[in-house]
Amino acid sequence: MVKGVPEWLKVLSWIFVALTLTFVLGPLVVVAGVSVSESQFIAFPPTGFSLRWFNAIFESNAYVQALLTSLRLAFAVTVTATVIGAGAAIALHRRRLPGTAALAGLFLSPLILPSIIFAIGLLMLWSASVGAVSFPALWIGHTVIAIPYVVRTTLAVLADSDPFLEEAARTMGAGRWQRIIYVVLPQCAPGLAAGAFFAFNISFDEAVIALFLRTPDLVTLPIQIYNQLEFSPDPTVAAVSTLMMGLTVLLIAVIDRLLGIQRFVGN
Amino acid sequence: MRDRLEDLSLAGPGILLLALAFILPIVEMLRLSFVGTDGSVTVEHFVRFLSDPYYLGVVWRTIYLSILITAICAAVGFPLAYVMARVSPQLRLWLIVLVILPLMTSVVVRTFGWMVLLGRGGLIPVVLWKLGLAGRNFTLMHTEAAIVIGMVQVLLPFTTLSILGVIMKIDRRLEEAARTMGASFLATMCNVVLPLAMPGILAGSLLAFTLSVSSFITPSLLGGVRLPVVAGSIYESATKTLEWNFAAAQSVILLVGVLIVLMPYIRLSERRHG
Repeated sequence: MVKGVPEWLKVLSWIFVALTLTFVLGPLVVVAGVSVSESQFIAFPPTGFSLRWFNAIFESNAYVQALLTSLRLAFAVTVTATVIGAGAAIALHRRRLPGTAALAGLFLSPLILPSIIFAIGLLMLWSASVGAVSFPALWIGHTVIAIPYVVRTTLAVLADSDPFLEEAARTMGAGRWQRIIYVVLPQCAPGLAAGAFFAFNISFDEAVIALFLRTPDLVTLPIQIYNQLEFSPDPTVAAVSTLMMGLTVLLIAVIDRLLGIQRFVGN
Repeated sequence: MRDRLEDLSLAGPGILLLALAFILPIVEMLRLSFVGTDGSVTVEHFVRFLSDPYYLGVVWRTIYLSILITAICAAVGFPLAYVMARVSPQLRLWLIVLVILPLMTSVVVRTFGWMVLLGRGGLIPVVLWKLGLAGRNFTLMHTEAAIVIGMVQVLLPFTTLSILGVIMKIDRRLEEAARTMGASFLATMCNVVLPLAMPGILAGSLLAFTLSVSSFITPSLLGGVRLPVVAGSIYESATKTLEWNFAAAQSVILLVGVLIVLMPYIRLSERRHG
């Protein structure tokens, strides 16, 4: 066995990793730090410790309204994206439809199309054919960009599933929909659940489509933060942001439990 | 036949939704980009954009900033991915989680963090001032450096994960063989690992580049109004000056640019799956 990596290079590479992680995570730590500062002004390092800015969020009508809008939207998107994505993934996995490869491309394409292009197209089409933008427009827009995640996580789980289970159910006399409900869907469950959490996270954090489709009555939490950042950021922005990051950490932990986060590497 | 019907009814809602709410909006955008102010078919919006030095400057800034951002992401992402691939699975999981965390955080939150760090009185300008490298009122906000810093943080996770996926598949015995034959560690990296990781580096870079040219929340908040990029200009035309046809034409130009860059990416990923 050859001698592995020289000692000095190991030390150097760990310094490099530490610096990179500091760079990548630094801004998030700063936001969390600002949110617990006592100071009236945005300051980092924080002075003192206080949770008053978290209280201030719930006393602010704008933030509470935006939070409710975002939650309502994210739950609606999670339901539609998961149901539609599940059906698509099962059909794609079976490869019986003509042009399955092209269909797979269609279902994953919202991932690579820049969201600004989709957002402006949706705004124009909605205005021309439906009228003023409203909650359903944003719901549809977020569902479209969340579907690829559900399709992907479900396909990943189906790829490892036992194809003979469905065959066995068929020989035992189970009908088409029985096989789907009792055999295929339970097999998909971890992938569907992970996809659902991804869908929730995407809708809750998304800012580009929500910015194009915003109206005075339709402001999501990221857009409320964006408005504050454009004009006068104060520590309440940090507190809201910290709550959003907390939710993200929670969702990552859940997705990892369900599916293993390593599966998403390299896709 | 009935099998096909069953699968079609499963995928049908999705196909219908994507056709109506994904394909059709893009078609509508294409159509509007060719409609003139008087309702006739015209290419005036494209001519206006491509002949105005102001907009050409915006395009140029978008392209060179994106190239810079992509290059930094690849240069930092490759060694980071290599280290991640060679540590224990337990530690790798933690590193992946730490890298994914900012990726899944809302872009407005991340950008806000940079506004605090880079603005007047923020940590970085103050440190530079204390070191005697900058003036007292120095700020990095509204500079191209701020855009690059903010965008690299957003895109580094993408590149790193895409390179990591490829490095994980490299047979470690190839490296060992090179070392047994007398190659130094660095020579092995340059002559064995780097060429084998190239598909991942390329795919990750193309992805980072397309995301970079089309993003506007981070550039517009960190760069400000004096440093517009293409996506910011589209947003201005669509929501501030309300020139929708002009905004549509700019989007078409951005879309064509992105597709040209994405072609090799799609080829690459097809070869990997096929």
